[in-house]
Amino acid sequence: MNTLWSKWFKKKRWRPFPFQEEAWLAYLAGQSGLIHAPTGLGKTYAVWGGPILEWLAPHPDPKHWPEKIEPLRILWITPLRALANDTVESLRAPINDLNLPWTVDLRTGDTSAATRRHQSEKLPTAFVTTPESLSLQLSRPSSREKFGELRCIIVDEWHELLGTKRGVQTELCLARLRQWFPSLRIWGLSATLGNLPQALQVLLGTGAQMGNAKLISAQVEKRFELHTLLPRSMDRFPWAGHIGLTLLPDVIAQIEKVRTTLLFTNTRSQTEIWFQALRDARPDWADQIALHHGSIDRKMREEVETRLRAGTIKCVVCTSSLDLGVDFSPVEQIIQVGGPKGVARLLQRAGRSGHQPGATSKIYCVPAHAFELCEFAAVRDAIAAGQMESREPIEAPLDVLSQHLVTLALGGGFCEPAIRAEIQSTFAYRHLRDDEWQWVLDFITRGGTALHAYPQFHRVVKNGDDYSVTEPLIARFHRMSIGTITSDASLVLKFLHGRYLGTVEEWFIARLRPGDGFSFAGQSLEFVRMRDMTVFVRRAKKSARRVPQWLGGKMPLSTQLARAVREKLAAARRGEFTSPEMRALAPVLNVQSDWSLIPNPDELLIEWTESRDGFHYFIFPFAGRLAHEGLATLVAHRLSRMSPRSFTLTMNDYGFSLTTPTALDLNENDWKLRLSPERLVEDLLDCLNATELARRQFREIARIAGLIFQGFPGAPKSMRQLQTSSSLFYEVFNQYDPQNKLLDQARHEVIERQLEVRRLQRALAEAQAMQVRLKKLARLSPLAFPLWAMWVQAQVSTEQWADRVKRMVTQLEIAADKK
Amino acid sequence: MKNGEREIFWGGEKLTLLPERAVWWARQKTMFIADPHFGKASAFRFAGIPVPETSHDDDLHRLEKILQRHRAKKLVILGDFFHAKTGRSERTLMAFQEWRARHEKLEIILVLGNHDRHAGGPPPSWKIQCVPEPWVWEPFTWAHHPPKLLSENFVLAGHVHPAFDLHERSGLRATSRCFYFGLRLAILPAFGGFTGKHILQPVRGDQIFLVGDGEIIDATRLIR
Repeated sequence: MNTLWSKWFKKKRWRPFPFQEEAWLAYLAGQSGLIHAPTGLGKTYAVWGGPILEWLAPHPDPKHWPEKIEPLRILWITPLRALANDTVESLRAPINDLNLPWTVDLRTGDTSAATRRHQSEKLPTAFVTTPESLSLQLSRPSSREKFGELRCIIVDEWHELLGTKRGVQTELCLARLRQWFPSLRIWGLSATLGNLPQALQVLLGTGAQMGNAKLISAQVEKRFELHTLLPRSMDRFPWAGHIGLTLLPDVIAQIEKVRTTLLFTNTRSQTEIWFQALRDARPDWADQIALHHGSIDRKMREEVETRLRAGTIKCVVCTSSLDLGVDFSPVEQIIQVGGPKGVARLLQRAGRSGHQPGATSKIYCVPAHAFELCEFAAVRDAIAAGQMESREPIEAPLDVLSQHLVTLALGGGFCEPAIRAEIQSTFAYRHLRDDEWQWVLDFITRGGTALHAYPQFHRVVKNGDDYSVTEPLIARFHRMSIGTITSDASLVLKFLHGRYLGTVEEWFIARLRPGDGFSFAGQSLEFVRMRDMTVFVRRAKKSARRVPQWLGGKMPLSTQLARAVREKLAAARRGEFTSPEMRALAPVLNVQSDWSLIPNPDELLIEWTESRDGFHYFIFPFAGRLAHEGLATLVAHRLSRMSPRSFTLTMNDYGFSLTTPTALDLNENDWKLRLSPERLVEDLLDCLNATELARRQFREIARIAGLIFQGFPGAPKSMRQLQTSSSLFYEVFNQYDPQNKLLDQARHEVIERQLEVRRLQRALAEAQAMQVRLKKLARLSPLAFPLWAMWVQAQVSTEQWADRVKRMVTQLEIAADKK
Repeated sequence: MKNGEREIFWGGEKLTLLPERAVWWARQKTMFIADPHFGKASAFRFAGIPVPETSHDDDLHRLEKILQRHRAKKLVILGDFFHAKTGRSERTLMAFQEWRARHEKLEIILVLGNHDRHAGGPPPSWKIQCVPEPWVWEPFTWAHHPPKLLSENFVLAGHVHPAFDLHERSGLRATSRCFYFGLRLAILPAFGGFTGKHILQPVRGDQIFLVGDGEIIDATRLIR
């Protein structure tokens, strides 16, 4: 090993881990690969060492080092902008200490225009960037020349990108760079996943590199403890309490024990609720607790992060915005409010504490409702058994491909047939069909295949086999729209005097009237007015209990964890209560057992009851909330196909409920028939025509494929004339260009991703093998109660929309006449 | 009523609301539409966003159908005839010109709206009389922008692209384009098929008529 490098390690009082040395050697041997290790274990230097050692080999003597800064050699891709700053700092450490003639710099969406201009003249030796910024680079024709000395690409937090469209975007960018520089080495860093070999293949594509690739695992055990804060008595404990605030005193006591705590919740609205509760209970902590979530202004977030690093803060209430990457060494413990939802996720969060070598990661869990006790017990078992979730890669999304091809057409153009080979060298598009390929080419050059429909359209101009973009307006427009992250239209939140607060989703504000109060970033605010995508507020005089909801946070229970939960329940039925959580849950489970039944893994429990509102049916497949949304829709559709009727659906991670005005009158076999996996996709597509799902999914697709220009504050007026809603596109395409493949993609994505069809298929197949246990309830059982009490999430009806409106009007008129 | 239409009395006159998103004033044999936004699809395509052209063909066809059904002598457009300058493509212009040739006896008046200022007015050869708002034709005042203050006259306007939000207690939500009739202000739905919607918040005393699938539905009782 090079002496300068090993000296630097010694000076830091570190000894290289075996996996780090393994990675350096593999890199020097010209290999690509994937390194997986828990956070805080030196993954960064495991990949950073290779390129440095490679440069030091022909430059052993600092006296003969060139004075000129080396050109771009390494691209470092990170999924999170928040991570980029810290990454740059750790990459710079050895560079500065050794005085290498290297520079490390970053570019993300936050980079200032001045820095950008400077960078467009001269790129640093190591360039830290996001997938979106890399795409943007590729849209500049000069990139190939500027990247001329590129040796290596490192993709950080690859598990975060895998299984997302950003991941696909990254695959496509990598394919382009591999095409330019065939000897390029590509390294990924990942947390532990259930499908690591596949993760490696997606990263490297189907080309030659795969044959010589290396999967390196850090064989370092990290100690881990999971405790649950148990409610003192189950009577006081709400079955469906939407927050576990009854445990607030215990949480406060736990926070008091150590210097710094991260308190994770599952949704942004819960962070607001918990932050308020903590502040109300402990006014003396006002300066020592803070809030951190993705909708809060960047400056406020950075301030919190700085204080975390310095250890001058007692507790930060946060969501997944602090799940990743950044190492906050002073954090001593983690508190998790609400169910863990996944094994890997909880482990990741636990890893945020105990960063010092040899330290133990400690996580304290706070159940939000009784059955989450069971989830905590189950997740401990799953971690002990090393059962980790997989991330399924996405297959061939045409919206991302369309965007990427326009990017390439801008960045110096592309030509057939070479481009197709390049695209198919990615994992995502390895099986791209001829018709799909032709359609995408038609879409970007002619707007679509419907010949008469798109006259004078010319986003990408085809000249023989060459494709390029010629219109400056189109180029500008496309560059502003690069990226695959979409969210519900978000509005800027500002004080009347102009100070920026953050963003909220449009649908939340749409429900407010001027004068209404709500809570944001821990402050009580009053809605004043909305103008040009900006919401103006003033500080409210009285404290507000309304909290903005962000739709993003609904994580379903993972299959791994659902299975572990069922095992725990089965054990409870046998009378085995081995963990403190299960012992605490025993009274609730006993009620479940007395009034109904605790289902075994080979039983499908269906409970039903009658109330003033109609008949309620509760079905418990334990397949996760998303799959239940699909199952509920499917069953409701199949039932109403026989005789039209109206259903109200609710679902959670354990099961779903159907509420209908008249009795269903089904026996065990009838239920099984409704849960048959036969004709699943056909039936799902049938119901989709009757619901809004595809229309909603189309929003993201339309945005990525370049149909919607999202606009930004200060966008020129000429751009505003180009804004329209995705649902309008959806209608127009459905009517005038029904062959449009983006419509297919929307339906397909709803089925694959929103409804998790594979999981549905599995759940239905499993249900066929199960014994149906039908139970009539005298009172709502503990399992049924949360579903009954839940907010109604979706509604399906086979009646025509107009009929329904008329019926509503008639009903209301009758009611009005009675008065 | 026939063809899903609905008659209402407003400002002392009988007006007919058409599910094709138009108002028919039978006494004057005049058809009113607002916000056709012709050429919007072309403007999008010009910027590299694929929108099928045919949506405008449909608009013209729909217009033709209702004019013939009622044997209209006159058509008044309440603003935003063209969407944008870049939308004045040859095909859009040709399509309307052909349509105009087939209806050469029809008198057309355009009350100028905000888009018309930027996009430019119709070519003179189309013989469309352009008038600034507000344009008075007793007993009504016709405008593109609804006036900010309650007018003394009965005003009919466009610009807003009104729609109504239907909630059901159970959580179903749907929006529908609508006609709005207030005390002395009425707003027409946008005529153009490729146009957006704006959710209104009507109050008690207003009247709302939804543009359903082929019929007008009175939703006044749903105003909360």
